[in-house]
Amino acid sequence: MKEIRPHPRGRRSFLRRLALGAGAAALGPALLQACGRGPGGREGADGGGAGGGELVISNFPLYIDVNAPGAPGSVSRFQKDTGIRVRYVEDVNDVRQFFARLQPQLAAGRPLAQDLIVLTGWMAGRLIRLGWVEPLPLAEVPNARYLVPSLRKPSWDPEQRYSLPWQSGIAGIAYNIKATGRELRGVEDLFDPALKGRVSALLEMRDTMGLLMLANGQDITRPTWAAAQPSFKRLEQARKDGQIRRFTGNDYQNDLLAGNLAACIGWSGDVAQLAMEKPDLRFLVPDSGGVLWADVMLMPKGTRHRQEVARWLNWVYEPVEAARIAAAVQYISPVEGVREVLAKDPATAPLAANPLMFPDAAMQKKLHVFGPLSDQEEARWEERFAQITDG
Amino acid sequence: MWPWLLLTPGLLWLLGLYVLPLLGLVPLSLSEPLSRFGLDTVFRGRVANYTEVLQAYGPILVRSFSFATIATAAGLVLAYPLAFAIRFRGGRWQPLLIGLVVLPSLSSFLVRAIAWTSLLGDNGPVLALVQSLGLTDGLNGLGVLRDGRLLNTPAAVIIGLTNNLLPFLVLPLVVAMQRIDPRLLEAAADLHAGPLRSFARVVWPLSLPGLGAGLLLSLIPAAGDVVNPRFLGGPNDRMIANAIENLLLVQLQAPRAAALTLVLMALITVAVVLQLRGRGLQELPLP
Repeated sequence: MKEIRPHPRGRRSFLRRLALGAGAAALGPALLQACGRGPGGREGADGGGAGGGELVISNFPLYIDVNAPGAPGSVSRFQKDTGIRVRYVEDVNDVRQFFARLQPQLAAGRPLAQDLIVLTGWMAGRLIRLGWVEPLPLAEVPNARYLVPSLRKPSWDPEQRYSLPWQSGIAGIAYNIKATGRELRGVEDLFDPALKGRVSALLEMRDTMGLLMLANGQDITRPTWAAAQPSFKRLEQARKDGQIRRFTGNDYQNDLLAGNLAACIGWSGDVAQLAMEKPDLRFLVPDSGGVLWADVMLMPKGTRHRQEVARWLNWVYEPVEAARIAAAVQYISPVEGVREVLAKDPATAPLAANPLMFPDAAMQKKLHVFGPLSDQEEARWEERFAQITDG
Repeated sequence: MWPWLLLTPGLLWLLGLYVLPLLGLVPLSLSEPLSRFGLDTVFRGRVANYTEVLQAYGPILVRSFSFATIATAAGLVLAYPLAFAIRFRGGRWQPLLIGLVVLPSLSSFLVRAIAWTSLLGDNGPVLALVQSLGLTDGLNGLGVLRDGRLLNTPAAVIIGLTNNLLPFLVLPLVVAMQRIDPRLLEAAADLHAGPLRSFARVVWPLSLPGLGAGLLLSLIPAAGDVVNPRFLGGPNDRMIANAIENLLLVQLQAPRAAALTLVLMALITVAVVLQLRGRGLQELPLP
């Protein structure tokens, strides 16, 4: 077995330089060039080049192991082993905006450039209900048997025909203990006046609202409009008071590192990765509960590379390969056997004992999945939430 | 006949890519979405779209124009001395100085906004300077800082906007000042006008056409800015373009987004007409 190790995140440092580099104006042309690589611009993914034979995958940024000296990333190894060319594009940032971008093509029944897209569970449910995705070729994916039982037949895909999880994770509270000056206990701490203006919440409504509703004693597996009202009000008041500095996507990470945030609602894997660079960072799943989510792979209608998709799915569900990805992203792997693979290697053994990657019984009791909202309900929730985040 | 023929490509461009899509917004703004998850709509003559967005986003409209106005005013304070220095003290360095003014615009405004986040951050150099000068309490009291913070406040948004619009103020002013005969300044000095007086009586009136052009070029994009409030502002500092973006891309409410867009464009048109009234376009020394 080859060595698996936590990945030295070259690309992450690049992004950080981009975001934090003072005097960026002076670097203008270089930065422009770097940004101008466009959606296909993934370092070390060996993508590039048009052509009919390539498998096109859209995913969130920083969500896979990338090439490092002497250690090719998953995409490169897949290409080498299978001879299938892959264009791996990190262009999913906000799933709602991604949906708005794809919507015209999908609604008109035109195939997308992508053969496989990774979206979060509730959004996958929307695409499945709209009939815009095809059943996955699971008959040709023997490794799908390694899918962990807790992620089988989720509410958004009750027969497990259209989606296979990529990673799952926890929305909880991230904080910098140097900035807070104390350990945090739960959601209440986000509203502590001592942290005024140094707290952020996520634009992902189900994560932010889920945490607040759990803290308010509500059952988020069956969310109702009425039950959400106190949490909406509380969030709105906190925004108006200046308690909440920003609503963010992935970008809370830069603010945490730059010291602009003392605490925030964040995602488990991100914080685990950041903590390797900044040991003062902590991730807390409140006793009132954390929100468990899953991002899943979907095949849009009209995919031309069904067989290649099957090969890819089978590849990333192979426990050793899945362990490499898990070691790099530090989210909850949906693949059984990953923990054993990580435990065998001294370099990754600590990861195998991390309850944020492999939730033990105590952790699992605290985790809840945000239940489905009907289309009408969702519209109402989104509008109310938008009033708070973009009002 | 010939001059009109020469205009055709430009007119076709404007018609096809600007006027027609813009007109398309009008029926769209009176429509309803066909379904929750589609951008397809059906025309229903729904005027309520306008009243609803005005009610929901009126305060953000006001905020957008106030931010743009303050940023433009701040820009003018910076631009006048700069333009004056380039024109009358620049000498042979003039082209280089103009180049330096334009230089930041060569980098993406997105990159510039992100660069500002590190300059204005809680541990950034700007706040460090403010602290070392002992100005924190004073600026807190003035509302420039919020609890000692600068990033994600209205002031940060205005700094970002000012930075973006500065070249659009400086360049027309330089062009307008090029037309000022330096001997007029000498004459003013001979007549015992101090620097302030000669600015007020000579430079200011003669630079007004440049000012008009500068205001047009800066106020309009500033009012519709989306990047600065997103990166430098907080959730209480959103501008109107953020709301339009959210309506269209997150809430999938294309008709209401269109209504809000048209309201914004109408307000901007009013501003432009006011600006141009009494002053012909010929007078505008557009760069």
